[in-house]
Amino acid sequence: MFKLNLKIAWRNLWKNKVYAAINIGGLALGLTAFVLMLLYINHEESFDSWSPDLKNVYQIREKHDFFTPDNKEHWQDAVDSRMAALVKENIPQAIAVTRVDQEWDWNSGYSVKVEHADPVMIQKVKDADSSFFSVFDHQFIQGNTETALKSPKSIVLKESIALKLFGTTKVLGKTLKLVIWRNDPGQQLTVTGVVKEPQTPQTVGFNAIVRTGEKDKDPDNITAKHYCQVYAKMYGDLDSVSLNKTLQQVYVKAKKASFAKQKINYNDYYKDGKKPGLRALQLSEVHANPAIQLSWKDKLKPIVGISIFLLLVSVINFVNLATAQSVNRAKEVGVKKVLGSNKHQLLTQFLLESALQSVVALFLCVVLVEVVLPAFNQHFNVTLSFWHNPRLLLMIFELVMLFFIVTLLAGFYPSWVLSNYNPVSVLKGNYANGLKGTAIRNVLVVFQFVISVTFIIAIGVMYQQTKYVSNKDLGFDKGNLINIRTNYEEKFAERLRKIPGVKYIATTTQVMGNAFNIPEEITYKDNNIALNTVTVSMDALQALGVKIMQGRIFAKEYKQDTVNAVVINESAAKLIDKNPVGKLYDVKSNKEKYTFQIVGVIKDYHNEGFDKAVLPTIYKVTHLGGMSTTNNVLVRFDSENSAQIIRKIEAEWKVAYPNYPMSYVTMNDSLNKVLEENNRFMNMIVLFSTISVSLSLLGLFALSTFVAKRRTKEVAVRKVLGAANYEIIHLLNRSFLILVIIANVISWPIAYILIKKWLDAFAYRIDMPVLPFIVATVVSITIAILTVSIQAKRAATMDPVTALKYE
Amino acid sequence: MIELKNIEKYYANKGVKSYILRHVTTTIKQGEFVSIMGPSGAGKSTLLNILGMLEEPTYGTYEFMGENVTSLNERKRIELYRNHIGFVFQAYHLIDEMTVYENIEAPLLYKKVGSAERASRIANLLDRFNIVAKKDLFPNQLSGGQQQLVGIARALAAQPSIILADEPTGNLQSAQAEEIMQLFQKLNKEDGITIIQVTHSEKNAEYGNRILHIADGVVKGDVQV
Repeated sequence: MFKLNLKIAWRNLWKNKVYAAINIGGLALGLTAFVLMLLYINHEESFDSWSPDLKNVYQIREKHDFFTPDNKEHWQDAVDSRMAALVKENIPQAIAVTRVDQEWDWNSGYSVKVEHADPVMIQKVKDADSSFFSVFDHQFIQGNTETALKSPKSIVLKESIALKLFGTTKVLGKTLKLVIWRNDPGQQLTVTGVVKEPQTPQTVGFNAIVRTGEKDKDPDNITAKHYCQVYAKMYGDLDSVSLNKTLQQVYVKAKKASFAKQKINYNDYYKDGKKPGLRALQLSEVHANPAIQLSWKDKLKPIVGISIFLLLVSVINFVNLATAQSVNRAKEVGVKKVLGSNKHQLLTQFLLESALQSVVALFLCVVLVEVVLPAFNQHFNVTLSFWHNPRLLLMIFELVMLFFIVTLLAGFYPSWVLSNYNPVSVLKGNYANGLKGTAIRNVLVVFQFVISVTFIIAIGVMYQQTKYVSNKDLGFDKGNLINIRTNYEEKFAERLRKIPGVKYIATTTQVMGNAFNIPEEITYKDNNIALNTVTVSMDALQALGVKIMQGRIFAKEYKQDTVNAVVINESAAKLIDKNPVGKLYDVKSNKEKYTFQIVGVIKDYHNEGFDKAVLPTIYKVTHLGGMSTTNNVLVRFDSENSAQIIRKIEAEWKVAYPNYPMSYVTMNDSLNKVLEENNRFMNMIVLFSTISVSLSLLGLFALSTFVAKRRTKEVAVRKVLGAANYEIIHLLNRSFLILVIIANVISWPIAYILIKKWLDAFAYRIDMPVLPFIVATVVSITIAILTVSIQAKRAATMDPVTALKYE
Repeated sequence: MIELKNIEKYYANKGVKSYILRHVTTTIKQGEFVSIMGPSGAGKSTLLNILGMLEEPTYGTYEFMGENVTSLNERKRIELYRNHIGFVFQAYHLIDEMTVYENIEAPLLYKKVGSAERASRIANLLDRFNIVAKKDLFPNQLSGGQQQLVGIARALAAQPSIILADEPTGNLQSAQAEEIMQLFQKLNKEDGITIIQVTHSEKNAEYGNRILHIADGVVKGDVQV
């Protein structure tokens, strides 16, 4: 029976090749998008699952406002290094606690020099204390956990890096020179271990773990802090609620003691909603809950939605075509029923048919996934693989589940409709009465078009927003400007200034790609105003090419500029005073009072993505009231021929810092990096909506074929009664046209809400445009009419005699 | 074998009953070959459908092999289809996606007949109807007469005790029709299969041994031939 059913299913598919192809192809596309998403989710879910030991490892998080993009308090994974000792001393279950470098986005790595070889930049070289491998149970190929970081000046390499540097993994006892920044004389380190790359990705990923000795101790000066990550391995299962309660108590106590020594009033410090906080987060939770950025789960939400919708569109095609096709199967059902088949058997048979199509679609989908995976990996900057997936078994299980779900979703309704046919009416040749499900089919078509129209509207709005952002005045001149990732040093800067074509050499702590925000509270006319401070060199604002709105910017001619002059941006001016030039304000720090004078106002310039508003900022050259530096050296050229000038700069660099390669980024690249994520999102929406719209149209095409076929007799009768061809086409079009119009009406508010949410995430955005809505409606209606008309025309031009004779 | 008592069938439309069958009472014995005749719209097909349990009468009782089957649940009805009733249709109603062989095999599969037994029964039927050479063809590759032969072979495969045929020769040319009717007569006489057919043609009715005349839903005559 099973074999026969399979045979019939196959013959049926073969008979309706085109529709089967549309069904299967569409389903394969929908499945492919879904499987890619599954792969991605599996990849993200697999973080930090490479050792069973890791379930007892916790990341320590502290609540503070140091180094946040918005200058507000956040739970951060960069914590005061003293927290390690605090946890170790106060939590009895803590077996091992380690301090390790935080990973910074813009860190291009450290220079590693093996004897006689050129220095190479290696990323993710992290400094840690001796307990690192006691917390993270990595598998050693050479050396072991106990001896690896026992003495300072040791380094443990990942297998791949050992091979890259030495060509072998037998490297115990060999030495290499690590240069952390360009003036660093470097330190000689001994290789004490080589570890294997774990099976799954890691939050604390590294190419090499170094113990320089820096991380062994906390700063002596109580006001100084070293920020790093702290991880603790606990003994046995812990109740995280009570653990966090203890941590919080211990932290508050320690803060109070520390403040007492620094003569800071605890209550003064924690006011205006600022609160102290310390807690532990299980390592398995860390990747899903990053400190400041959006977690991957949130980032993925729209994509999950889109791929589910895509799958639904293809499933709907399947359902619609199957129910429409049921006319052709009605007789079979009727006959089988009088031959003694029960409903259950028929249901099984039709489900088997959809299962057959799902299986074919699933195989196609696996092939498609293999084909598009390289492009997908490149696009999303991941290394996913299907066959070499460590969770292959899980993936296969998920695919099998998906197969069942899709088969049931797509097959159940048509099977149910078919197996419910009444044999009498069908065998009498009275199909029309036996036909059910027109209403449901209409609902499904509407649903499909709602998805497609929403996609089209979204593309339109996204395109306009992207155009707006890329044409937006950045507030600075991004052309002919590069940023060398290094500390500013006057002597080196002087040498670079002598290179012809170099206009300015400057530094700032705030530029696109690397902005370092320091919050500060000023007192102006007895008002306290929270602002952001940026330390610049004398000609940094000129180098950036900012626009002056009022007063002046810094210049050597003004002696005052190195004393107490500041420039503010427009956002700050809005908070301080409309005409701030010449006005004075105070900053209180450690019971001292500094007075600054505002000498100019510049236009806000962008230094983060367009989702963030430019912070109200004070720019100063003077060291009065503290200063900060970060790795930015801006070079402004006065000609387009920058390649040659950059070569000359690199030559100068080699002379000055032979042990450290130079790395730089152009401002155009920095901007593109900021825009990258949105462009990527938009590309994906465009791709998915194209697929969704074409699937919907294919579905509509096939459906209209069946409807035209079903109404053959009606058309023939109307023609005999004298209807013209165009009237017939109009007749067939009308029913679909109504559906598409309803879909448009429904999708307008949906699209409006979704797009508004998307636009609201931008600090700089367009107003909700009307055009995409109108375009989407016109486009969807036009294409739908064209699609249906192809079939309608065929029906209309047919000779009525054939149709009537047949009946 | 079949006992109809006061069978009525009507549709109520806006309070008006339109009768299809009225007061049909008759008995059909094992081994009879009954032809139901009458003008279009007389209720012949409805009567046959009621006999085949495809429709339920609105009133009256129907006993099949001593069992009241007036309203039967699906499981029981399917049981009867599998073991006792074979249908033959005017439009043959072969399953287009199945070969001749598979069409004949289908009822045996539902009856859960073992594969060896199945093969021998089908071979027997193919042989008897001279369609061995056609066994791997699909219905649309056959002439109407051949299709009807397959239809009858299919009805016989499950070895039913009764065959219900709704104008079995209605779509056939007279030579083919004659062949089919002779086949029916042979089945009735040699194998003792009860046959009830609906027909328009006096000539076809002659092949049977009893004719029921129906007009306007009422049995007007019951003639032994």
